[in-house]
Amino acid sequence: MKLEITTSGEFKMVKVNGRIDTTRAVEFESAVVSLIDQGCKNLIINCFDLNYISSSGLRVFLVLQKRLSGQQGIFRLCCLQPEIQEIFDISGFSTIFQIFPTEEAALAGEK
Amino acid sequence: MDDKLQFNVKIMVVDDEVDLEPLILQKFRRQVRDGKYNFVFAHNGLEALTKLIEEPDIRLVLSDINMPEMDGLTLLTKLKELKNPWLKTVIVSAYGDMENIRTAMNRGAFDFLTKPISFDDLEITINKTLEEISIIWHRMQEHDQLISIQQDLQTAREIQLAILPKTYPPFPERHEFDIYASMIAAKEVGGDFFDFFMIDNERLGFVIGDVSGKGVPAAIFMAVSRTLIRATGLKGISTKDCMGYVNKLLCNESVSCMFVTVFYGILNTLTGEVEYVNAGHNPPYRLTGGQIEKVEMTGGTILGCLEDFSYQSKRLTLNPGDMLFLYTDGINEAFNAADEQFGDDRLEHFLADSHEKSPEEAVKGCIDAVTGFAGDVAQSDDMTLLAIRYNGRS
Repeated sequence: MKLEITTSGEFKMVKVNGRIDTTRAVEFESAVVSLIDQGCKNLIINCFDLNYISSSGLRVFLVLQKRLSGQQGIFRLCCLQPEIQEIFDISGFSTIFQIFPTEEAALAGEK
Repeated sequence: MDDKLQFNVKIMVVDDEVDLEPLILQKFRRQVRDGKYNFVFAHNGLEALTKLIEEPDIRLVLSDINMPEMDGLTLLTKLKELKNPWLKTVIVSAYGDMENIRTAMNRGAFDFLTKPISFDDLEITINKTLEEISIIWHRMQEHDQLISIQQDLQTAREIQLAILPKTYPPFPERHEFDIYASMIAAKEVGGDFFDFFMIDNERLGFVIGDVSGKGVPAAIFMAVSRTLIRATGLKGISTKDCMGYVNKLLCNESVSCMFVTVFYGILNTLTGEVEYVNAGHNPPYRLTGGQIEKVEMTGGTILGCLEDFSYQSKRLTLNPGDMLFLYTDGINEAFNAADEQFGDDRLEHFLADSHEKSPEEAVKGCIDAVTGFAGDVAQSDDMTLLAIRYNGRS
């Protein structure tokens, strides 16, 4: 797993590359939570290069959403590959998270 | 430093010169008075060994080389045989006696001093040695703790397996259905579970679940989830009310956003009708009339996350001979050495050949197929399977 962090206006954009399995979920959580600790309020996770996510990884998304919504921040996901989208659909995460097809749509908040 | 090593450290001085005893006590009278050091004296190697047996809390031996009965070098060899990792020896030799010093070091002495003894140097050497002993002491304690945690994990594993149904057939007097299930944890304990219970004379409740993550946190959450579902399910309420109620309770219990995906169904053994809720779990398969099909989703999300979520149920009717096959994602998401997933395709391929299998054969066969596929790759997630065949009214 690799993370590429960029800034786009009010948003921090985190591009995840590879797999978020149980072991990497811990690294992923601490990396993104430290972004929030540093003051990031609006976060977009770009999942274009995310090819696997375990339930521990999904849990981290819940943690991030909870953290940010607790401080009136914004948490959005974009560019999910079909296999990842399927996991989100099965688990009902699609209804829990704001998911957008492109970065532009995620930045604008318009599906 | 550990309390036991900071205060009243027992140091044994072994020397045949009787004058040394009052000299040491005089030089270190402050440390002895403050309770920092506690000196014990022996006058040859044999006496030293006896003292060590009588006073096993001696941590440091300060020994001369040339002594009657048993000399310091022989004593070193004997001390080594005690295999006490936090007993260290400092040797005192004549100035320039490099040959004996080398022999002593090779026999496991921690350090050496030369005569005439400089008491400042002696104190530095004692403190340095005690620090080393302290490090070893802590390492040993950590090691013991690790062993104890491993034993706890083993006990936890036994408890976890004990709360899952394990006697088959579970309802030998029921001929309307056959049921079999198995959970294989990736670590000592797992976050997957399954359960089944007769709600009344006609209805069988069955459930499969997968808690986020694995290991001890998942295992505790698993035990809570499984118990809540069983206790609620046994009241005989509908699957959607059961899931709604358990979800509310889990939302209150859920720390750090743990959640559980669950499929809960109730089979009417008279009619073959199944009422079910899928709360974010992989859709089970139904094997019917030579076909395999995924059981329709019910739009439910995971339990333990959205407190006010309203779960909806659906119904399907099993024909005699139909089988329901429930699984967790440790099955289809098992990886092999080439980093390929077992995947839905292989699972469906396996099931396509399973119409004639009993639930037990299907479950065991599927586990064999997945472990055969994964080969030497360590199991990364818990694997759980539950299969029910409806035989019709008997």
